[in-house]
Amino acid sequence: EVEGVEELLVEEV
Amino acid sequence: MTTSTTGVFDTSAPWSLSEQVSLRDESFGALAYHHGNRRLVFLKSPELVALVRRLDEFESVDDAVEAVAPAHERGRYTGALRSLHRSGMLRGR
Repeated sequence: EVEGVEELLVEEV
Repeated sequence: MTTSTTGVFDTSAPWSLSEQVSLRDESFGALAYHHGNRRLVFLKSPELVALVRRLDEFESVDDAVEAVAPAHERGRYTGALRSLHRSGMLRGR
């Protein structure tokens, strides 16, 4: 049988 | 030129971190807390923190991004600033 992760620069709570 | 924290985010215009926002440096970048709307935002890269702190040195967001953000990630950093604007963290000058 597997092929890609852009982390967010900004996260709000 | 708008002084609003809402509305269109014009990257050819000068913006600054809102005076209602406190930044606290962390190992991952920084925490930004807005004392007015009580929003807490994680800035998850030291380069983004530097960009936000230095916004008021430049006559436009585009100039700031070009000078401070990693060259291959300018679009991503502009997008991050757009998110911060949506959260009310930035103010027009």
